[in-house]
Amino acid sequence: MKENPYQPWLATIEDVREEVGGKRPIKTFKLKFQDKNVQNNFTFLPGQCAMVSLLGMGECFFAISSSPTKKGYIEVSVMKLGKVTTALHESETGDVVGVRGPYGNYFDVEGWKGKNLVFIGGGIGQAPLRSLINYIVDNRKNYGKLDVIYGARSSKDLSYKQEFDELEKRKDVNVHLSIDVEEDGWKKFVGFVPDNLLKVKPSPNNSIAITCGPPIMIKFVIQNLEKLGYTEDQIFTTLEMRMKCGIGKCGRCNIGNLYVCKDGPVFSYKQLKNIYGER
Amino acid sequence: MVDEKELRDVVKKTISRDDVKYVVGYEKGTYGFQATPCFAYKPEDAEKFIFSPLCVHNLTVFPMLEEKPPLRKGEEPDTRKIGVVVKGCDSRAIVQILQEKGLERDKVVIIGIPCSGVIDPKKIEAKFPGHIKKVEVNDEDDKFAVTVDGKTQKIPKDELMPEKCKTCEYPNPVLYDILIGKEIKSKKKEDYKKVNAFEKKSMKEKWDYWEKQFEKCIRCYACRNACPLCYCKECMVDQLNPQWVRRSVNLSENTAWNLLRAFHLAGRCIGCEQCERACPMGIPLMKLNKKIEKEIKEMFEYEAGISAEEKPLLAMFKPDDPEEFIL
Amino acid sequence: MDKMILLKDDLSKFITELLKKNKVFAPIQSDDTILFDQITRPSEMNLDFCKSEIPPKNLLFHQTETLFKFTPGTKAKIESVDVDEKKVIFGIRPCDAKSIAILDHAFKGDYEDPYFLSRRDNTALVGLSCNKPEINCFCTSFDDSPASSKYVDILLTDIGDKYYVEMNNEKGKQLTEGMSNLFKHAKESDAKKKKEVEKKAVDMISRHQKTNGIVEKLDKIFENPFWKEVAFKCVGCGTCTYLCPTCHCFDIQDESTLTKGARVRVWDTCMNPEYTLQASGYNPRPARTNRVKNRIYHKYNYYPKNFDVIACVGCGRCIDLCPVNIDIIDVVTRAGEVKA
Repeated sequence: MKENPYQPWLATIEDVREEVGGKRPIKTFKLKFQDKNVQNNFTFLPGQCAMVSLLGMGECFFAISSSPTKKGYIEVSVMKLGKVTTALHESETGDVVGVRGPYGNYFDVEGWKGKNLVFIGGGIGQAPLRSLINYIVDNRKNYGKLDVIYGARSSKDLSYKQEFDELEKRKDVNVHLSIDVEEDGWKKFVGFVPDNLLKVKPSPNNSIAITCGPPIMIKFVIQNLEKLGYTEDQIFTTLEMRMKCGIGKCGRCNIGNLYVCKDGPVFSYKQLKNIYGER
Repeated sequence: MVDEKELRDVVKKTISRDDVKYVVGYEKGTYGFQATPCFAYKPEDAEKFIFSPLCVHNLTVFPMLEEKPPLRKGEEPDTRKIGVVVKGCDSRAIVQILQEKGLERDKVVIIGIPCSGVIDPKKIEAKFPGHIKKVEVNDEDDKFAVTVDGKTQKIPKDELMPEKCKTCEYPNPVLYDILIGKEIKSKKKEDYKKVNAFEKKSMKEKWDYWEKQFEKCIRCYACRNACPLCYCKECMVDQLNPQWVRRSVNLSENTAWNLLRAFHLAGRCIGCEQCERACPMGIPLMKLNKKIEKEIKEMFEYEAGISAEEKPLLAMFKPDDPEEFIL
Repeated sequence: MDKMILLKDDLSKFITELLKKNKVFAPIQSDDTILFDQITRPSEMNLDFCKSEIPPKNLLFHQTETLFKFTPGTKAKIESVDVDEKKVIFGIRPCDAKSIAILDHAFKGDYEDPYFLSRRDNTALVGLSCNKPEINCFCTSFDDSPASSKYVDILLTDIGDKYYVEMNNEKGKQLTEGMSNLFKHAKESDAKKKKEVEKKAVDMISRHQKTNGIVEKLDKIFENPFWKEVAFKCVGCGTCTYLCPTCHCFDIQDESTLTKGARVRVWDTCMNPEYTLQASGYNPRPARTNRVKNRIYHKYNYYPKNFDVIACVGCGRCIDLCPVNIDIIDVVTRAGEVKA
């Protein structure tokens, strides 16, 4: 038979990190392919995704949240919601998963060289941005000013805390964290992410803004970016949909004639404005 | 014979009310012997409404299909009533749903039409194959008057009626707000002749029969979607955790699906035959439903969808209920 | 392209020859329905039909397909499955054959679907011209004909006491290798007879869909209330998609016990709300209007944009079987007339 894109490679869970607890917990899984050749050949760029499965439970499509600059493993950050993600949250170090990919397009990290970058993330939407931010930071000299705007419902809901602590220490990255509701001891911004964006007011000159988060957040972030003078080809987002195949065959993740899994997940606002279809 | 003018006037009046969102009834279909559900949102829309023996659909499925999209800020939910045109059998579905509290009585305006039998579209299409131009079909006592290309033929009802109409005991809507025309009398009796005959077969014969039927099933769930009583928010077959029925299409899972559905309709099926009509593979689903209906009638003297005040069969217990069926 | 003649009396010899080297699938009567299934003898076939209940796409794109088998747990193992087998689909109608050519686009591309495409490579299509189109047939609306040989390897047309045989390509020729005693070269009069039979069938098709400029028109009316009017009577049963010869959406699920399992793919339908329902509870296509519109757009706008062909062959199955008379001929024709 021909080469089979549906058949995953086996990977071992090397580490499980709890990012967020509570009702909608998030964990980051560090996965290493069992076959060294597969590991070495699995090259990707920030924004790309992978189909991760627990054999017997099913598959899910996740953004790869680690940076391609970190070799030898990939990471996915998973919010516990459905059948597969719940089972994944019950998995431990040493458990085996199936992985196939990388799928989809990626952020134009080559084309953005020399530009100022603004990252605007909310909740679990930070996962693809984390890959991108770490990639940019590891290639810091190639890019201009960096602003990282990130928020969650409460301080407990912020992911990648340790990494943000380290980012905040750097002088060449501006980090702007926020939480939705006031909390004792929180000295940073209180309010929704789109409002924090207006407060930070990143200049649109020679800039690219990349946003990912809940649909409602993306909507207001884009409105506010336009208020700040960003044009539609300076704004990028990454989308998600229910997916089954990851390779543009099973049909369900289409927006108009495009498939989010194959033609996305990264879209410019200009592209999105010109395609119709439910999303 | 139903006076369509009277029907249209009633629909017009109903949709003119401030508290009615829309009225669902029938209009002529796009070809041949088809009728199709249609909706009146404003009085003019009533002009297209018809009623003829081609109106086979049970429209009570529509209030149950109402989608409730999330409200925008400041938006009020639309709580207006839905008007539904019903025949005798259809009305029993509403009654059953009311019993189960799946619908509130004041959320529907029931426009009842006495009906002495409809036409099975498959049977009439077989009689006039390939006829595309719209046709005229009228009810004339024990015959249907079918006018094709200007020529009228009178065909005995039994030749064209679906099974349900041949033994229908409820030609008049059991519940309505407005009745079109006058109630009719019927001497028909459900005698379960077919069920009885099937019961006489050997276990092996029965199993072979159903095996062959369930093998055909493609699990499209058209039976479920066409059924007004299949209104669960999440059907057990779509549940993933736990998963009751696997998605693989094979005899084992197909049997599980068809039997589970039949049992979920025990004491609830009102016999409108929509499942069987919608099944693209021609599985005789009513044979299952009728068997269960018969058992329930004999054991508990209960019939689904007769009185809105009564409790659903599975929600009432009587100390002298028979228990022989408990193994 | 060779034009031959096969005497009707020799048909069963032809089938018997095919059976020697291939699995042969042909229309079989079962109760009131015609289905394509494997035959072991020519007499099992029934060629007196218009269209099979389920389109023969199911022989290449199985309704239930085991993608691979596995052992779950920490000692997980994956075991590939093989799908290679020589197959002949005998008696496929030109419309259904066209649908398979349309499906090729979906299963090829950046990622090749090995299940469909392996079978496709190993399957020969021996078509049978349709000589009695039914009420809802409209293949001629797509400039095709009920006797088109375009999408099959060999086409047989019933011209009375014999079949007019069009050997369409190498695959067709190879299939009939060593059977030259069965086939004779066709005469001019036979070709004329085929044309007559074809014309008669074309003339029997009385319903037509207007597809002129439909792709561009749909671009302009996505938000039009027309779609609500079309879709409101839909009960979401999905028959239209399951029985559509060009529909190809699927679900993938794991079916396993504690010690072994399989990842299977199963036909799915965009008419079902669960199809796009996300784990968060959000559904981008929450209403029947969204879903019915998606079905029409997929066929008449998205597919043409991606692959330059309308994903409808005019077989009419969705019209025949819709329980509420949603009629794609009528819907698309009216969509073309909506004021944008």
